[in-house]
Amino acid sequence: MKIVREALAGTLESSDLMVRITPRDGELAIVLQSEVMHQFGARIEAVARECLAKLGITEALVVIEDKGALDCVVAARVQTAVSRAVDEWTADWSALS
Amino acid sequence: MTDDLLSYTIDPALQPDEREDIRTFLAKCGLDYEIGVEAFVVFRRKRHLVACAGLEKNIVKCTAIDPEMRGEALGLRLLTELIHLAQDRGHSHLFLYTKPDCVEFFRSCGFYLLAEVPGLVALMENTPIGVKAYCDRLKRLRRPGAVIGAVVMNANPFTRGHRYLVERAAAACDWLHVFVVAEDVSLISYRDRYALVSSGIADIPRVTLHHGSEYMVSRATFSAYFFKEKGIVGDCCTAIDLLIFRDHIAPALGITHRFVGTEPFCPTTFKYNADMRHWLRGDVSPSPAVEVVEIDRTECEDVPISASEVRRLLAADDFARIRRLVPATTLELLETKYRAPRSSAA
Repeated sequence: MKIVREALAGTLESSDLMVRITPRDGELAIVLQSEVMHQFGARIEAVARECLAKLGITEALVVIEDKGALDCVVAARVQTAVSRAVDEWTADWSALS
Repeated sequence: MTDDLLSYTIDPALQPDEREDIRTFLAKCGLDYEIGVEAFVVFRRKRHLVACAGLEKNIVKCTAIDPEMRGEALGLRLLTELIHLAQDRGHSHLFLYTKPDCVEFFRSCGFYLLAEVPGLVALMENTPIGVKAYCDRLKRLRRPGAVIGAVVMNANPFTRGHRYLVERAAAACDWLHVFVVAEDVSLISYRDRYALVSSGIADIPRVTLHHGSEYMVSRATFSAYFFKEKGIVGDCCTAIDLLIFRDHIAPALGITHRFVGTEPFCPTTFKYNADMRHWLRGDVSPSPAVEVVEIDRTECEDVPISASEVRRLLAADDFARIRRLVPATTLELLETKYRAPRSSAA
């Protein structure tokens, strides 16, 4: 799928994260800020990348403001942001979990 | 406990009762109500207003939380609502003025510091890569040399005076970077201003022309933010803009000198040039000092040329005198596109 517009998902509240996804040509860039950067920063980014890969997103700028979210929350917020940023949702929800 | 909270959005122009409630609440928190705010997020507990935050286009204003409610993470909910409201209104890149002791709080809401005047005011943006990405793009346009100059001009419209300033500045530098203020609030559109500067200085060697940005003389960096001590308003406005220039833009391009034209008639500009020396050169930032060079304006029949004079003549339809102050390209554009409608055939 192609990111065609900027979109936002999530909140800044504890155990959640805010994901902002923006169209970008030629690369997939993730910028992560987290309150638990030292312990889980690499893990959060890996979950986000895996989720984007399953959705077939190869070009985008993804900015994440994390407040200590669990993996499943990270994936859910990334999926929602993507669903708002594409024209047509072609992924199979059941294959994502 | 925050689950008995009610949150919603209001339009202050259409909801005077809510507006007056917000005004009272802000006063209680030591803040002024700002008339430019187009939408507010409001939180109420029972019927009492306990938090609000406003938006004027992409600038966050009038953000306050009831002192008794602080420490309950209400701020994060308030800013979440506000960021989503801004997104719905088409603004993803947000700026926010606050007092320096609130910077840490807004950092926890995903805002990042752009510039701070200690003890007075700080400007933040809601992305970790905003000014950095902008400066990374500028870095690719770096030029070698010991003296690297910069001129920031609105050029509303481009005159022989601007041409003279760029010529003189370029002659004094190894390379000169010229920026055209991008904010589109002037009589002459940004597109036209940029085109006129571009053709007006094309033949001057060792010059790069840049588009302006939100980080330079923009609504965001020059916002009419105010404090209770109204006297410091002007200082804060120029200080933030000049500190962003010194801390971010100048290092990206290696700028060592900033050139400005003198304004012998206008006390405001006179003061702005003095501020420029203070914030760009003074001991107020860890970044290298930028020298400020004032260049006397070129004159036409003993009167310094200024864009404001050209606008006055334009309003009076005095093209005979405009012709002497502007280059041919500006004259042609003014005649074809910006000529004031005449009341009677002449």
